Amino acid sequence: MLGYALLAGLVFGLYFGLVGLGLNLVFGVMRIVNLAHGDFLMLGAFGAFWLFGIAHVNPIVTAFLALPVFIALGFPLYYLVVPRLLRAKDPEMLSIILFFGMSQVIEALATIGFGPSERSIPGRVLGSGPVSLFGQSLPSAWMVSGVASGLAVLGVYLYLYRTRLGYLTRAVMVHREEALATGIDVHKVSAIAFGVGLALAAIAGVFAPFMLGSATPAMGVDLNIQSFAVIVVGSLGNPLGTVLGGIVYGVSLMFMQTYFSSWANLLPYLLLILILLVRPSGLLGRQVRLA
Amino acid sequence: MLSKLILGLFAALTISGSGARAAGAPAEIKIGTLYAASGNFAAISMPVHYGLKLWIDQMNAEGGVYVKPFNKKIPIKLVAYDDQSNTATAATLYNQLITQDKVDILVADSGSVLTSVAVPIARDHKMLLIDQTGTGAAFFSKDNPYIVLMSDPVSSIWPKYIADFLTTDGVKLGIKRIALLYSTNDFTGTQANAVRGFIKAANAPVEIVYDQGVPTNTTSYTVIINNIRAANPDAVIALGYPNNDISYLRNLQDSGVKFKWQFAIYPGLETEHLEKTVGAKGMEYLYTYTPSSVLEYKAEFGMSLPEYRAAWNKKYGEGKVEFGFNSVAGYTTGLVLQKALAGTESMDQLALRKAIFALSGKLKTIDGTFELNDEGAQIGEITPLGQIVPDGNGGLKFVVVYPHDVATGKPVYPAK
Repeated sequence: MLGYALLAGLVFGLYFGLVGLGLNLVFGVMRIVNLAHGDFLMLGAFGAFWLFGIAHVNPIVTAFLALPVFIALGFPLYYLVVPRLLRAKDPEMLSIILFFGMSQVIEALATIGFGPSERSIPGRVLGSGPVSLFGQSLPSAWMVSGVASGLAVLGVYLYLYRTRLGYLTRAVMVHREEALATGIDVHKVSAIAFGVGLALAAIAGVFAPFMLGSATPAMGVDLNIQSFAVIVVGSLGNPLGTVLGGIVYGVSLMFMQTYFSSWANLLPYLLLILILLVRPSGLLGRQVRLA
Repeated sequence: MLSKLILGLFAALTISGSGARAAGAPAEIKIGTLYAASGNFAAISMPVHYGLKLWIDQMNAEGGVYVKPFNKKIPIKLVAYDDQSNTATAATLYNQLITQDKVDILVADSGSVLTSVAVPIARDHKMLLIDQTGTGAAFFSKDNPYIVLMSDPVSSIWPKYIADFLTTDGVKLGIKRIALLYSTNDFTGTQANAVRGFIKAANAPVEIVYDQGVPTNTTSYTVIINNIRAANPDAVIALGYPNNDISYLRNLQDSGVKFKWQFAIYPGLETEHLEKTVGAKGMEYLYTYTPSSVLEYKAEFGMSLPEYRAAWNKKYGEGKVEFGFNSVAGYTTGLVLQKALAGTESMDQLALRKAIFALSGKLKTIDGTFELNDEGAQIGEITPLGQIVPDGNGGLKFVVVYPHDVATGKPVYPAK
């Protein structure tokens, strides 16, 4: 049971790394909290459900489609909202209020469009039967989702560390004003990062019906809480720390389900309290966060 | 001449008498209720709400509902708010319905979680809570006359036939080891307690080898399924809400694990919805509650099942809210209210309660026989144990396997 919980936790954690990645990227670059993150994830899930329903589009194809679509969506949304937020005295707090409102609107529109019930895509679409790994059998849909999550994380790493745009993005993450002073088009860099953040959420959403069983318009709230736990554990503002946070969360959740199943929903809060008491900067965080 | 005078006087008195009674009649009967258009309980709330609305629209199209104390039909005004599946919001809105809107009849939202907050509020305000599908056993007590359960049996008796089957026929089939998985809420937690109690009382040679609760918002069951498999059970009882059942059954299918005997609640109660999300393959050979929407009880009051189904499709044809057990429950609430208003001596809350209790054991709707115990809990609409099997044409069909007097076939064990 222990080995199975560990392996399942690693795969589940990799997925949750992807779930939190976009939220952390947006926070890292703009220092704003996108409370509608879970709702963009939900839109990705319903996009996959809708495309599969009308044209049997494979969710992997949808994941690729989500990238340009949500980057394109993020660009105008950034210019509409974020520069105004950043001019405020307390952009972090104001962003929480603004994106909370946006979250409510998105959820309401999705409910009108798709109804309130759970929607899903057959698991066989991502492969039938279980896959054997280290002597344990895991659902093939989980394995595909885990691999896709790993590739998305790798893509973000390459974007941040192997491209010129990534260097500029990291410069903005380190110090926005200094980046501006050196002539970097901070808004353009930030808008792209914002779009990438939304796209990562949407890609995670595409795989949600397979990892979480189904998608509902209301799923965003729970996912936001889990995402926060993941990124705080990993380190706020450090996108790649999110992967570690996700794995800690995934493995802990599977152990909780094995040994204290009734208490498993307390896990995000327990992790948050624990990390804030022991290492407030997160597992990969610097001792002092520049916020 | 004298007889004409007497007749005229009598007629005038009759008219003025009825006029006086009608003058005291309200312009409308206010029914206040909540629904969850979003959130975790939307899937079980909206069908119930739509069912109730369908009955109200039908009544109003006929000029209103007949109310005995006023001896006339009075239009119904529905005052409904969206609680978004949030118990804190629901508590505020229940208070608002009673104190601000001053509704004549208070109807709870669907399900035990959103009903639980209404129980003490209704009691404090001495309002009779028309509990549609909140079946938690803790809601009902001898010292609280302000609640009646309309449409589903109280949770503590739901699993009686499951336990009876496992401890009698199941033993003969070779079932000795039982796994029990449940979501930790009033609805399924009560059922889990009941299962333990029934099995213990039966004193049969069966043991519970796995007994775990999970939070209601659990969406991942792969590890739990592996843990259940490690306990090597002959039968698995999974008690959850629709989101739990969907995730559990999908994970079960994707994991390639097949238990010899598997029970889940919602494949029976919301068959269409589960078939869309889990798929027909994932529902084959499952045991479940056989719902009223399948059994087709002979309705002595209200529409028959095919008629109701046709009316539902005509009104809500877009398919965003599926027809099933809960849609029948909402309509049944309306039928019980219709009968009660036609029989009550006054609009006083306890008089209404008395009128509803007077229907106990006598009212037969598409939901079965309406029967209450002393505490107001529903005990009449108990659901037989069914098994979902392939129908040979690529679809699924229900076979009632227990109790024997209503059985339509033999159980397939072990599951194929």
